[in-house]
Amino acid sequence: MDGVHDLGGMDGFGAVPIEADEPLFHERWEGRVWRMLAAVMGSTTIDRFRYTIEQMPPAQYLASSYYERWLWAIEHLAAEQGILDSADQPVAVSRPSPTMPTWDGRFHRGDRVRVRNPVTTGHTRVPRYLRRHVGRIERVAFAWPNPGESAATGTYGEPELVYTVTFAASDLFGTTADHTVTADLGESDLEQV
Amino acid sequence: MSELTPDQRTEILERHLHDHGHVDPEDVDAAIAAAESTTGDGPSPALGARVVARAWVDAEFRERLLADPVNTIAEYHPQTVPIAVLEDTPSVHHVIVCTLCSCYPSGLLGNPPAWYKSFEYRSRVVREPRAVLAEFDMDVDPDIELRVHDSTAEQRYLVLPLRPANTEDWDEEQLARLVTRNSMIGTGRPMQP
Repeated sequence: MDGVHDLGGMDGFGAVPIEADEPLFHERWEGRVWRMLAAVMGSTTIDRFRYTIEQMPPAQYLASSYYERWLWAIEHLAAEQGILDSADQPVAVSRPSPTMPTWDGRFHRGDRVRVRNPVTTGHTRVPRYLRRHVGRIERVAFAWPNPGESAATGTYGEPELVYTVTFAASDLFGTTADHTVTADLGESDLEQV
Repeated sequence: MSELTPDQRTEILERHLHDHGHVDPEDVDAAIAAAESTTGDGPSPALGARVVARAWVDAEFRERLLADPVNTIAEYHPQTVPIAVLEDTPSVHHVIVCTLCSCYPSGLLGNPPAWYKSFEYRSRVVREPRAVLAEFDMDVDPDIELRVHDSTAEQRYLVLPLRPANTEDWDEEQLARLVTRNSMIGTGRPMQP
């Protein structure tokens, strides 16, 4: 979805708020929210948690602190799972483990690839600033279930290959940019150039 | 619920989840205390510093850390998601970000700092990293290649910073004290001896 959470490359946010010696949690409730995520995460996917946050109305998202956004998502996921008013434990969802893929993919190191433009109101991990741009495959990073499917179903499906892809920032943000940007993108998000 | 403060909403959420056996307040207290611990046994900047210092003094460990980061870091703490180690060189400097949410090597470094999760950092560092790094008092020579890594998938990143000069006689424990959290994210350098 084209949400307000997709911030990469946006202008106007100003200086980074760097706080010296910051505490882990600024207020007591933040730590409790942080830990209570575990109560809903056992029965859903990390992608559905992210997708839930992305459903926040844009103005509210921008006006909320980090843990307020978590709180909003946990309230919604707990209601969805029925655990606010029932002792029944929803079906557990097991997380894939970090293993390297054993199969060969469609792309190989050095290949030029174009990022697909996913027109979807569902969840995607393709940032807006990379869509339709051409990059180069750096390496096969790992294999992982497709985030869009994991967000929609709340369960993890079959893994797909995820590639680390390098882009010239001058292509993305204008000729004065002299750095590179890498992102980790699923095989279904990419097409051969 | 919007008229309530986050503190009040958190209390209501915890009460509902506790009443139905989905949250144990004592477990919440213990988890917060463990996360706030600075002993360096659990995920924290201190734990990351031990891994970095070991890589500086132990060439065989460094090779393994770069080639098989998940299993090598697991010697210190088990990793539940893929992680890649980005080695700085005299001519290349790495910086990490998550433009879409807040993905961070939490399994090694603990919770991210607030600035890492800020709209300002997430929007700007992919576009103008040199300007952002200057706000961290970090001037990067124009000859140094800057690589920004957007954590768009379930893979986390750790920057392996350059060992400070004039530390040839230093042992691992002394070196670990020079490793700052920001130097493992790429927004800082290790302290100088």
